[in-house]
Amino acid sequence: MAASDRAVAVSGVDVGDARRRTAVPQTAVVEKPEADDKKKTAKKSPSILDIIDEWEWIYAPLIFTVLAFFTRFYKIGLSPIVTWDEAHFGKFGSHYLKREFYFDSSRILTNTQQPPAGKLLVGLSGYLAGYNGSFEFKSGEKYPEELNYTFMRQFNAFWGAACVPMAYWTAKTLNLKRPAVWLVTLMVLCENSYTTISRFILLDSMLLFGTVLTTLCWAKFHAQRHNAFEPEWCLWLLMTGLSIGFVTSIKLVGLFVTALVGIYTIEDLWSKFGNTKMPVTVLAAHLTARVIGLIVLPFLVYLLSFAIHFAVLTNSGPGDAQMSSLFQANLRGTEVGRDSPLEIAYGSRATIKNMGYGGGLLHSHVQTYPEGSGQQQVTCYHHKDANNDWFFYPNRREPDFSPEEEPRFIADGTTIRLIHAQTGRNLHSHEISAPVTKADKEVSCYGNLTIGDEKDHWKIEVISDAASRDRSKIRTLTTGFRLKHETLGCYLRAGNTNLPQWGFKQIEVTCTKENKPRDTYTHWNIEAHTNEKLPPGDPGSYRSPFWKDFIHLNVAMMTSNNALVPDPDKQDDLASQWWQWPILHVGLRMCSWDDNIVKYFLLGNPLVYWGTTAGLGLFAFLVVWYTLRWQRGYNELSQWDVDQIHYAGLYPVIGWFLHYLPFVVMARVTYVHHYYPALYFAILEFGFLIDWFLRNRTKVVQYAIYGVLDVTVIGLYVYFMPICWGMTGPNKQYSYMKWFDTWRMSDA
Amino acid sequence: MAATTPQGSVRQRNVGGSSKKNKDGISAASSDVELDKIVKAARTLASAAGSEYDYKIVGVIITALAFLTRFWGISHPNEVVFDEVHFGKFASYYLQKTYFFDVHPPFGKLLFAFMGWLVGYDGHFHFENIGDSYIANKVPYVAFRSLPAILGALTVSVVYLIMWESGYSLPACIVAAGLILLDNAHIGQTRLILLDATLVFAMACSLLCYIKFYKLRHEPFSRKWWKWLILTGFALSCDMSTKYVGLFAFITIGSAVAIDLWELLDIKRPGGTLSLPDFSKHFAARAFGLILMPFLFYLFWFQVHFSILTRSGPGDDFMTPEFQETLSDNVMLSNAITINYYDSITLKHKETKAYLHSHAERYPLRYDDGRVSSQGQQVTGYPFNDTNNYWQILPVQVDQKVDHPVKNHELVRLRHLVTDTYLLSHDVASPYYPTNQEFTTVPQADAYGDRVADTLFEIRIENGKPNQEFKTISSHFKLIHNPSKVAMWTHTTPLPDWGHKQQEINGNKQIAPSSNVWLIEDIPSIPADHPRRAKPEKEVKTLPFLRKWFELQRSMFWHNNQLTSSHPYASLPFQWPFLLRGVSFWTQNDTRQQIYFLGNPIGWWIASSVLAIYAGIVLADQFSLRRGIDALDHRSRSRLYNSTGFFFLAWATHYFPFYVMGRQLFLHHYLPAHLASTLVTGALVEFIFSADSTDLELAHQAAKSGKKGFAIKRHVTARERFAGQSMMGAWIATFAILALAFAGWYFFLPLTYGYPGLTVEQVVRRKWLGYDLHFAK
Repeated sequence: MAASDRAVAVSGVDVGDARRRTAVPQTAVVEKPEADDKKKTAKKSPSILDIIDEWEWIYAPLIFTVLAFFTRFYKIGLSPIVTWDEAHFGKFGSHYLKREFYFDSSRILTNTQQPPAGKLLVGLSGYLAGYNGSFEFKSGEKYPEELNYTFMRQFNAFWGAACVPMAYWTAKTLNLKRPAVWLVTLMVLCENSYTTISRFILLDSMLLFGTVLTTLCWAKFHAQRHNAFEPEWCLWLLMTGLSIGFVTSIKLVGLFVTALVGIYTIEDLWSKFGNTKMPVTVLAAHLTARVIGLIVLPFLVYLLSFAIHFAVLTNSGPGDAQMSSLFQANLRGTEVGRDSPLEIAYGSRATIKNMGYGGGLLHSHVQTYPEGSGQQQVTCYHHKDANNDWFFYPNRREPDFSPEEEPRFIADGTTIRLIHAQTGRNLHSHEISAPVTKADKEVSCYGNLTIGDEKDHWKIEVISDAASRDRSKIRTLTTGFRLKHETLGCYLRAGNTNLPQWGFKQIEVTCTKENKPRDTYTHWNIEAHTNEKLPPGDPGSYRSPFWKDFIHLNVAMMTSNNALVPDPDKQDDLASQWWQWPILHVGLRMCSWDDNIVKYFLLGNPLVYWGTTAGLGLFAFLVVWYTLRWQRGYNELSQWDVDQIHYAGLYPVIGWFLHYLPFVVMARVTYVHHYYPALYFAILEFGFLIDWFLRNRTKVVQYAIYGVLDVTVIGLYVYFMPICWGMTGPNKQYSYMKWFDTWRMSDA
Repeated sequence: MAATTPQGSVRQRNVGGSSKKNKDGISAASSDVELDKIVKAARTLASAAGSEYDYKIVGVIITALAFLTRFWGISHPNEVVFDEVHFGKFASYYLQKTYFFDVHPPFGKLLFAFMGWLVGYDGHFHFENIGDSYIANKVPYVAFRSLPAILGALTVSVVYLIMWESGYSLPACIVAAGLILLDNAHIGQTRLILLDATLVFAMACSLLCYIKFYKLRHEPFSRKWWKWLILTGFALSCDMSTKYVGLFAFITIGSAVAIDLWELLDIKRPGGTLSLPDFSKHFAARAFGLILMPFLFYLFWFQVHFSILTRSGPGDDFMTPEFQETLSDNVMLSNAITINYYDSITLKHKETKAYLHSHAERYPLRYDDGRVSSQGQQVTGYPFNDTNNYWQILPVQVDQKVDHPVKNHELVRLRHLVTDTYLLSHDVASPYYPTNQEFTTVPQADAYGDRVADTLFEIRIENGKPNQEFKTISSHFKLIHNPSKVAMWTHTTPLPDWGHKQQEINGNKQIAPSSNVWLIEDIPSIPADHPRRAKPEKEVKTLPFLRKWFELQRSMFWHNNQLTSSHPYASLPFQWPFLLRGVSFWTQNDTRQQIYFLGNPIGWWIASSVLAIYAGIVLADQFSLRRGIDALDHRSRSRLYNSTGFFFLAWATHYFPFYVMGRQLFLHHYLPAHLASTLVTGALVEFIFSADSTDLELAHQAAKSGKKGFAIKRHVTARERFAGQSMMGAWIATFAILALAFAGWYFFLPLTYGYPGLTVEQVVRRKWLGYDLHFAK
């Protein structure tokens, strides 16, 4: 068994290029570096230096950790005002403490809707700090006395500080030599941008923590590859899974590091698949272990974060409208479904909710379409106001509605009119293209009680009813129906298209010719319903299942992400572009630049940024160099060398690309801190390169180069320290740091 | 049928030859003495292969059919159809030498202009609307249309040649060419005045030339080798100079070249190691032929473009004033007047065409969002002529010097004439933009009092030189507020009622954007007959070619990226292989005729499913190889990966890049990829329905086992590969596919040729996937 395991492991590393070189003995896996180190220590009698050397593994991470906590925690409460995105995440924390349902629409600065775990943790930190959730977290406002914001910031800084020892272990696990390990750790420790971003109530320190942790677990798991199915192997597999679950529940950016682990796993399985000596059962076991550890487990963690989210947020809040009507009806303190009559009759006043993911309420307002018919706009809108109310009226062929009559109920197949309560106009459609989705027909509000035609007629087609099979009534909350335009035969639809500024960026409502019964954007249900003639009921007694809520919230998250196309009207001088990050072209002012407040500037350590960026180019050159020489028959790399380039060099580069390219391709507003996870991989890459070139040099050369690098990194860190710890007083006095005009830490 | 009869006899002759060789091959492995015989046998085989007249006959027939299908009824409809509006118009502009602007490079349009010039057309008609009559306007439209039709017909022949040159059997060639021949999309797009015929033809030619070139790899640097290398480059250049999607062909050929170079570099190369200087020669030759030379050709078309278009025209507005001054009878040349201090001027925003305006009303104290203003006099943008648009331009120091011209980078003040106030900006947020500065005006007392610094503005002429004179119309400039360095900017969102729905003017901290550019429209203080308005006959200036090209290129890319608005018939890349929707090109109500641009659904679905089958075969092969199961013989695999793989690569590189393109896309963007997919189809028909002959495989193994000089250095034709094999299966498959394709082509023919008109019922029958056809009711 041991022999076959060994064979597995060997073929596991035997990939790509090595396959063609059949002459190389396949079992030549050399583990050089550790052997070297041990030999040295074993031979001589232990002097003090040797003891220091021997215990390095315990005190080095300790020292680094202490330094990390110092740099991240020192004077963390200096600025008593809500700084930058604290305004958002603090607010979300408050929602958790007040247990109000909210929907993350923090698109102003962070631009992404995020899963709940990170904000839950912020909420937790507030809870631990004894905060009651009453503060509004308005940007630039002073924290009230009773709010222990220092603790909340420390809580966040903890995650940032924890990255430093993990970077140490990661570099060590990737077989870097000690000075290179120290250099990598120093570069993470002495990174001004990492320091600054960790010192506020933001999600980025947690995201960074998750990314670093996942990379560490992956490296540890890889190091265990020869010990398949042994306890430590299993441990690191599970740890990788858990950390993936953690990081993706913090921010969706976590999916990129997940992709890195995914690529590694696919490659690993592919090489195992090619090992015909491995029994198929073992192969299947490998596959199953990974599916459980890397897919099922992270997904469970992700689910758990939502389960907690729903469990905590049981009160009605500002995010209600994003969810289905049934979900809202189950929140405490909601208006939805409370005392609403169960069944709709003519004369009922109701709001009509789109059942698509992230769908809003059917809305109209006095503003008219600037093109097309020029009639009154009809949109879909999440905010609850009186413009969402519609009256159900009989069609023009039937006897008109009179307030005195007996309630006439509406059934599946009834043709009705919908009258907008505020303006008295009829919901109307006609042979004019919709303003954005040109293939569909425009929907407008037109006429009044008496003026109008057949084009105001809509036929109700019931799709589903969660409460009953009886189709002779339309029920509040539970009945899903479509509205078919009688003359055009099209269906009322609200997709996820936003109108331009003239429509206040609300969702476009159209009439689509396509008859797709499964298109949920054409499904509608009654949300609020009032009718004095009917007895109040309790339509909200049907609970919507967790699964449905989970999927609904996730799809709503994704779709409103997609709606975030950059807005050329919006000028945002905080935003930066992808090409500016690796060259440290710009920084970011985190607060106003008034002389009286403590100012923080988001800018990295120049050596770390420029060095790692140059390192990426150098690595590309290195790979091209060795492959070209290999093709020309030079056999200069041992199997160990190839593996080292592959796992300690190539994988960090892949990680960098995975965290960087999406921001290049995505056409959306981006900020400097989007580069931080990618930077971590670039740092690992830099460590690998330095290690690669210096590993076999003489001690003198090593000391000299590492010395210069270490001192420069620390020196620059200290030099730029004020931007992290807070700049007090007039900004002019910090102009010495302004090396370039785009580094706007000073107005001078 | 004519094609199959001769083949029978040839095949028989071959059987003899090959069986002999077969025997030799085996004995050769055992005895070196036999070697001579084998070489001789191979030679006879080669001569037999030389006369492939069955291929030639079929080729001629297919070409004839291609011309027939493309030219049949080409004069119908005699009206402007779809994008003929654009490309017909551009041809007219060329013929009239008036400058125009378009996002596509000039080559394809130049061809049309050349056609028009050949038939002596003067370009009087401007193709304004779809449905305009050609007859009434006396346009030689048949000549115009016959150009794409010729190229479209030749495309079919080129596809046939590609398959032939790649060594595929006759059925495979016929399937590939037949699917293009009977494809409604290719026919429809190449019968009209559109660029795609040129594009697809050039793309197909580049594949053909590269294959020719690659086949000559054993005679590097020979005359023929150079010829095909240069021709490949030329075809690529034409492809790219027609439309920028032609760049995808560079990716296709480039990938193939990269792989080829990689193999040349191999130290264990079958043909012997190449020394590094030799390799460098290979590298340099390809870099010259496939990159440098195509680029020079590309530039050449622009040179032609500039040298034809010498007169001012509708494209002027897209260019800088310096560029416009190179065009004759340009407004810039004739109307530019130098501005002097104390002139009153009107400032116009270049992008929104609004004038800088002010009136006695003031900003409200509080805006809707709670922010406060300075309550100063409103400064707005107003699109109509009005005396409130008049501003007097003043120097910093009052000197009353007359006839003193304003120069670039000088500080000026602007006095609003009607209210006698001075333009000013200060650190107060503008009505809509908290980040931007408010613009207002102050009375003279303040302007010469404590606010003096805030009333100073710098004139920054775009691309200007120091001390350049400031002129009306031709000087595009930014007005930079001197103390705060913000640029005067405006946008189209109207102010609320308090601002009379006029445009907001504010100070933009981002100075770089071109939306900050203004120009001086006129100097109302100069009377119409004043000598300063006299127009001296100015001569047309010249600019270096590269500068003109660079400017045009930037402008083209910028406008290409702006093409994001939605179009009723736009489609998405994932819809194309399934042919989910087409484009309505033209309709005529009285006759119920319509042209609906749509591929032959049957042909497309066959081609697309074959792509999936190909991917499946490759994946299955990789998986089984990985498990040590070798199911394919050497030749089949080599062909599957190298030749068919090249076609598949061509498809992928012409298809997937569209997924990341942000602009609006149409079905016709898939045509080059579709062409590649038919090549894969032909190749797979052969792969699936016939097996390779075994003797070549044996020969290959003999070569592999170390017989020097035995390696087959020559291209092996289909006839040799399938010697002695029954091709019955492949022929049956070919006829089945062509019969289906023919049926589909014939069924959708009325929509492609726009003739005859269809009844409701006939239209409805053709709405296969809910195609949005007209006249369905």
